[in-house]
Amino acid sequence: MTTCDRRTVLKTLAGASMLAAAPGLTLAQGAGTFRIGALNPVTGAGGPYGGGMQKMIVAAVEAVNAAGGAGGRKLEVFAEDTQTQPQAAVLAAKKLIEINKVQAVLGTWASGVSLAVVPLTNDANIFLMHCSGAPALSGPPANAKGLGYRFQATNDQFGRAFAEICAREGFKRPATMAFNNASGIGNTEGFRKAWEKKGNKVVETVVYEPSQPSYRSELQKVLAAKPDVIVMGSYLADTTIILREWFQTGENQKWIIPGWAANPDLIKALGNEVTEGLISVESVSNEQSQAFKIYDAAYQKAMKQSGLNNAYAAMTWDMVTVLALALEAAGPNADIAAVNAKLREVANPPGKQVSGFAEGKEALKAGKINYEGASSVLDFDQFGDVTPDFGVSFVSKGQLSRKYIVKI
Amino acid sequence: MASFVELVLTGITSGLVVGLAALALTLVFGIARFANAATGDMMTVGAYAAVVSMAASGSFTLGVVAGAGAGIVVALLAHLLVFRRLAARAPVTSLLASIGVAFVIRAAIGVAFGHQQKVFGLPVVRPWRIFDVRVQPIDLAVVIAAAATLLVVFLILYATPIGRRMRAVADDRSLARVSGISPDRVMVTMWALAGGVCAVAGVMLGAKTVVSPDMGWDMLLPAFAATILGGIGHPVGAVVAGILLGVVQEIATPFVGFTYKIALAFFVLLLVLLVRPAGLFGHSEGAR
Amino acid sequence: MEAYFVAIAIIVAIYTLLALGLNLQYGLTGLINFGHVGFMCVGAYTAALLAEQGWPAPLSFLAAAILAALAAYPLGLVSLKLRDDYFAIVSLGFSEVVRIVVTSERWLTNGVQGIPGIPKLMGFTGSGLVQASAVLLLLIAVNIVVILVMRRIVHSPFGRIIEAIRDNEDAVKALGKEPVGFKVRVLMLGAALAGIAGAFYAHYIGYVAPDQFIPLITFQIWMAIIMGGVGRVSGALVGTVILMAFLEGSRFLRDVVPFISEVEMASVRLGVVGLALILFTLYRPQGLMGDFTRR
Repeated sequence: MTTCDRRTVLKTLAGASMLAAAPGLTLAQGAGTFRIGALNPVTGAGGPYGGGMQKMIVAAVEAVNAAGGAGGRKLEVFAEDTQTQPQAAVLAAKKLIEINKVQAVLGTWASGVSLAVVPLTNDANIFLMHCSGAPALSGPPANAKGLGYRFQATNDQFGRAFAEICAREGFKRPATMAFNNASGIGNTEGFRKAWEKKGNKVVETVVYEPSQPSYRSELQKVLAAKPDVIVMGSYLADTTIILREWFQTGENQKWIIPGWAANPDLIKALGNEVTEGLISVESVSNEQSQAFKIYDAAYQKAMKQSGLNNAYAAMTWDMVTVLALALEAAGPNADIAAVNAKLREVANPPGKQVSGFAEGKEALKAGKINYEGASSVLDFDQFGDVTPDFGVSFVSKGQLSRKYIVKI
Repeated sequence: MASFVELVLTGITSGLVVGLAALALTLVFGIARFANAATGDMMTVGAYAAVVSMAASGSFTLGVVAGAGAGIVVALLAHLLVFRRLAARAPVTSLLASIGVAFVIRAAIGVAFGHQQKVFGLPVVRPWRIFDVRVQPIDLAVVIAAAATLLVVFLILYATPIGRRMRAVADDRSLARVSGISPDRVMVTMWALAGGVCAVAGVMLGAKTVVSPDMGWDMLLPAFAATILGGIGHPVGAVVAGILLGVVQEIATPFVGFTYKIALAFFVLLLVLLVRPAGLFGHSEGAR
Repeated sequence: MEAYFVAIAIIVAIYTLLALGLNLQYGLTGLINFGHVGFMCVGAYTAALLAEQGWPAPLSFLAAAILAALAAYPLGLVSLKLRDDYFAIVSLGFSEVVRIVVTSERWLTNGVQGIPGIPKLMGFTGSGLVQASAVLLLLIAVNIVVILVMRRIVHSPFGRIIEAIRDNEDAVKALGKEPVGFKVRVLMLGAALAGIAGAFYAHYIGYVAPDQFIPLITFQIWMAIIMGGVGRVSGALVGTVILMAFLEGSRFLRDVVPFISEVEMASVRLGVVGLALILFTLYRPQGLMGDFTRR
């Protein structure tokens, strides 16, 4: 009996290791390809965004390959789920790096995940392009090799933008509500710092836990301070519930909400009356830009909904595009360092403005280019951070429309 | 004062959701003798079935009925395929299997519906003001749905022959068997009832919040706490304890903060187990 | 390639330590501990915070084990008098409370931001594969020591008593031995192992945050010991290897079977853990490595 069982175990193990070995064998070679790891939060807290992020990496790679590849190479994608958990992300990254031999890891999302993955990509001397807000990711040790690129605004940048908007709209008594995680608190803390620097005061600060049947006591505490505006560091699900309950209290505040939460899905979930007058802030996804239109078409095709719903998917789209343009600019057989040297060149001014890979590839023949992304204008500073402008949109009759742009 | 009353009202409605989940838990605990960790995910089943059928038909009432139906089907399947076969073994075996059932249900929902949130799309309206206290229509709807469910459950338990047999099994299983009560039919009825109650609780939670694959699992610990506080196998106790927990949690928030309030259910649970293991309403069967 | 397998082997070794602790509690004593991840969390944070203060690893690991064991003490006292399924619920709640505490006490734990930059172990061996292999060897050594000690325990008078508690608690009471004292000690011992596992985990991942310590980890360990065979020391290892082979293997499934998306794969992974729990309890409660009554 026992021996038989041991044999079963051995078989299972042998099967597993064969599974493990097989792709390694088939994929290790092929100098004609540039391998990309799509490491996204498909499940866990990032679940609402991760699927779309991953699909946009795949779609952007298809677009690059359809245009004949980059720098004489086809791109190949290996997709993994971080589960929005550092441990799962570390193992997934190890697998991508060691087995799939990827040369870039794209689209990590939670700050904790990016912080756990960046030592691995640094050890392997490959790119990490992420959507995390933690300031620690800018400098050494996390970005000691300059291979880390942030496509998202930092928490502090978001906070500064929120404070600018508060001042411009003439609010006097802001309160904050934050989802209890690094990003939620990062945003509202960033706001508090920037707002107090202007010599003002935040009247109330509430940090709430997710997954509750009701947020009314949290709301009551915030509303008791009689704020004229409530600044949020939140996600879609909790924002949906909080706004619904707020409306049911009969109060009349204004709300300033990050764009990933205050999006068309939120309006659809709550209706026009509740969402009237909400202020949605996001790092500018140029809806007007050509790049956004191309991305939006791809997103609609893959996800059957508007690309506005997922600001992070626009970022992962840009990651592939800008990386492919750098590959193209660096020419055939360029190594990572050579590609890295070209990355800012294709993304930042000066150069001819381009909106997609095919267009950029053409323009590169003539001279320098400046990719204007779908997620932002995408100009990297010395830390590999973008300094996006922030679009301020107001909801009116169920429509989000941008009123102005805040520069920080 | 008005804000205090509002806090209590909030506690009552949140507590009703927990209380209904605890009612389902206590039915299973009392009759099948194990803690059913799949309770939360059976709630999720109800919420999804209701959201989908409401989107198709436009009627919330129909959604609730469809949700309850789905909950009953899933609970019966779980009973027939898994729990019935484990009935003769130690309770912990069924408890472990129920965690497996919970994961399988959540996985199936994740594959079928994805991880994007869904909402019922009920109209959101301004509150009524009664003596300066803001009362929200949705809360009234939750209270009515809960009351109707409780009425049905208690009618079945206390006014039908099968209900009497269920209570007999809950009180003393071997005595019930000696008296010629077939445990099979009692079990089937109990699971149908538990599944339906779970599903209604899920629909209520979904209507108050948003519908997502993880929604039910998050309610599991508070529901356990309410079950034990109410006394295991005691339907009235479960509901009252759920409401009590909800209210205590809301009232205590100013003192313990918004993070520790989640831990409150646990401390109540611990306190009850130490001081009065049989729960508020429990009878002889203790926790030791 | 090698580095990936070393990485998996390290996680397997960490999980094996957790499984050995749980096995001692459930397999040998019958304690249904659903809060194992809580003790791991205590150990991980202890090691991370002390490493930040510059403590040498051996001392901080010792502290991690001691603090985890101490955390188990009050839980043991209050709960072990309870019926076993009640203890299961209480311990599950306990691990959630631990997580809430590390979330809330920002002055100590940096709250939800977590503690980044925990130094790697065995740093003196260099970096990359050499360092990782050194960590793996150390972990294997720790596991072997633990297994040897557990074998000693099983065959000691203490071991015979805890087994007797599992099989027939009333008989033990009748003999004038108070089971609670033994149970508390077993719980603390298992918690100490989880604490050490947590310390290794913190140093290996290099970053700890509250949401790494969710109940799912506990249930994965449960799945491992149930698959491997409850009460068997070898079962802990075999079960963990199967668990990781499955969790990691499912990544490769996606490269081979392209039509199943990663979103679905995540759900499928959860579903398979669930299905394994159901099938093993139904059809093979003694696990792959055999019945605990025939050691």
